[in-house]
Amino acid sequence: MAFLALFLAYPLFYNVWTSVHDVELGQLLGGAERFNGLENYRAVIDDPAFWHSVRLSLIFTLGSLLLQFAIGFALALLFARPFPLGGLLRSLLLVAWLLPPVVSGTLFRWLLDAESGAYNALFRAVGLDPLSHDWLTDPATSMAGVIFANIWVGVPFNMLLLLVGLHTIDPELHEAAAVDGASAWQRFSLITLPLMRPVSVTVLLLGLVYTFKVFDLIFVMTGGGPVDATRVLSLYVYEVFFTFFRFGQGAAAGLLLLVVPLLAGVFYVRRLRQEQEAPTGGAV
Amino acid sequence: MPYPVDRRAFLRTAGAAAAALGPGAAVTSCGSEEPSTATLTWWDYFTLDNFQPGMNRLIKDIEAGVPDVRIERRTFPFAELDRQIALAAISGNLPDIAIVDNVAMNTLAGRDLLADLTDRAEKWGQADQYYKGPWDGCQVGGKTLGIPNNSNCLALYYNAGMLESAGVEPPTTWDELASAAQRLTSGDRYGLALSAIKTEEGVFQFLPFLWQAGGDLDTFTTYGATALSFLDDLIAKGSLSEQCVGWTQQDVNTRFLNQRAAMQINGPWQIPALKAADFDWNVVALPRDRQAATCLGGENWVLMANSKHLDKGWEVLQYTQRPSVLVPYLVAFGELPARKDLADQGTWASDPALRLFLSQLPLARPRQYGARYAEASQAVAEAEQAVLTGSASPSAAARTAAAKIDKALGKQ
Repeated sequence: MAFLALFLAYPLFYNVWTSVHDVELGQLLGGAERFNGLENYRAVIDDPAFWHSVRLSLIFTLGSLLLQFAIGFALALLFARPFPLGGLLRSLLLVAWLLPPVVSGTLFRWLLDAESGAYNALFRAVGLDPLSHDWLTDPATSMAGVIFANIWVGVPFNMLLLLVGLHTIDPELHEAAAVDGASAWQRFSLITLPLMRPVSVTVLLLGLVYTFKVFDLIFVMTGGGPVDATRVLSLYVYEVFFTFFRFGQGAAAGLLLLVVPLLAGVFYVRRLRQEQEAPTGGAV
Repeated sequence: MPYPVDRRAFLRTAGAAAAALGPGAAVTSCGSEEPSTATLTWWDYFTLDNFQPGMNRLIKDIEAGVPDVRIERRTFPFAELDRQIALAAISGNLPDIAIVDNVAMNTLAGRDLLADLTDRAEKWGQADQYYKGPWDGCQVGGKTLGIPNNSNCLALYYNAGMLESAGVEPPTTWDELASAAQRLTSGDRYGLALSAIKTEEGVFQFLPFLWQAGGDLDTFTTYGATALSFLDDLIAKGSLSEQCVGWTQQDVNTRFLNQRAAMQINGPWQIPALKAADFDWNVVALPRDRQAATCLGGENWVLMANSKHLDKGWEVLQYTQRPSVLVPYLVAFGELPARKDLADQGTWASDPALRLFLSQLPLARPRQYGARYAEASQAVAEAEQAVLTGSASPSAAARTAAAKIDKALGKQ
């Protein structure tokens, strides 16, 4: 309890306190913070840049989640059956997830570089010239660039959890269905998919919470630019805090950043409870 | 109470005297002076290896020359220092002395964070020894809040061989710059390279264009559009790479060194790296439009308002301004002095490239726009990026930026 109070409740309380006070760099020394109610929240909500960053966060999160999940699922199905070097490949894939975001960000910054980047060189070498592009310095494509990198980072995590989920499905179900003449697609869509639903929801919710607050990867790759094309909510909050030193507004924006993951968390906990009360699918 | 490490440092510096007087004398002097010794904490962002010998020597000099002072130095990465000062303001662990980027005076000054040195500086009476830009950069709201540490500014480097074979003279005006850049562009080589990255670094490189056009941040709608159009044309003609929106000044210098840019806008801190280049290069003043202008860079020494050792701190600052201390420090750093009276000493007295930069210092303007400058600066950076990436016209981008700038500065 003391641990929770010290490391969770106090910072959270302090953040809420800051968010309803007029706190800037100068006031920190003099202790002249003035209570200003919801003014900070109003300033944030009135800022078009805030809403722009919310939109970008949603695009980034949804784009990353869906593709991460789809690719992760496909790879999980692939690795679910043993094949030569399968174990080795699986561990290699995990490296992507283990790399610090700053490292993977730097890596992709270089891979996607217009002049010296490996991808563009590859595209040009195989005659796909139209695909070679200033990915990160063109506002129209920089978001695609950072999503691409984030998918690469997220796929192994998705794959690992989904793989565990696949292993919980009793192989006899598939065998029985095969004996009854079900095609591979039927077995996948009628047996695997429904049984994988609880795991999938968990994976997607965890992914949502992780992805919504991604900061370092984007910061390293584009710094939120060009212009403001990749300034997602976390970068917006950082900017208000540490570029403009408007701590009150930063705290308010930071709490707003918590809303989406918090809703996702509440939804997840409720589902978990429902499942425990009335087990679905899994326990066939 | 001094820490053991300070005692050791003290003994080390006292070593020279001890050698002459004998060990017994050193021990007694140490014992008697220790209680009055003040330990000053000192923060800066000179983290690179090549800065350490010069900095260590400077601190040793101070500890030997200023009575009863020990320096406890901490370094932070460049982008971290302002943030650390802000965080330290919250926790109350501010240093006594800091060397900050001159542009940081905007955020740090006027918030009672920095010690007011006005009276001390007046009594000292050396203000007129400094170039106007650097000294003015330390004056905020009628107060002296710092002493210039070193100064730099931007100029135009060119690849001498490329200009010669293209039959192009070093440009002195915008028109000449545009036509030279176009004639020097070929294959994967651009005529000009500059940094337009979305940070203060990009703004540092953009502001000279705005000033050369005859404007400033308060007239951004008109003159901002002029400056943005000029750069936009360079991109349209292929003389400047659109990639510059992601380049730091370091990246720009790399392009120039790889001979993938015939000209570059950059500062004197690149000279050591350029000396190793296997081609001839030279440097000239930034081309002018309506007027000549360049942007002031460099650092200032500041004392923190809540320091318990303000007098000692001020003594340290004064001491560092002696030519015998300042010149070796600046030479070791490859930086230029902010003081006019040092113009004929040090490497910059003989090195033609450094001399050119020094000759530009009287023109160099500090970015002194007040506490909300960071927001205005970001608006400028975003306008430039929008134009150079083709997502907004110069006039539209200038108008959008002007609204944000006006809100951030003065018109509030």
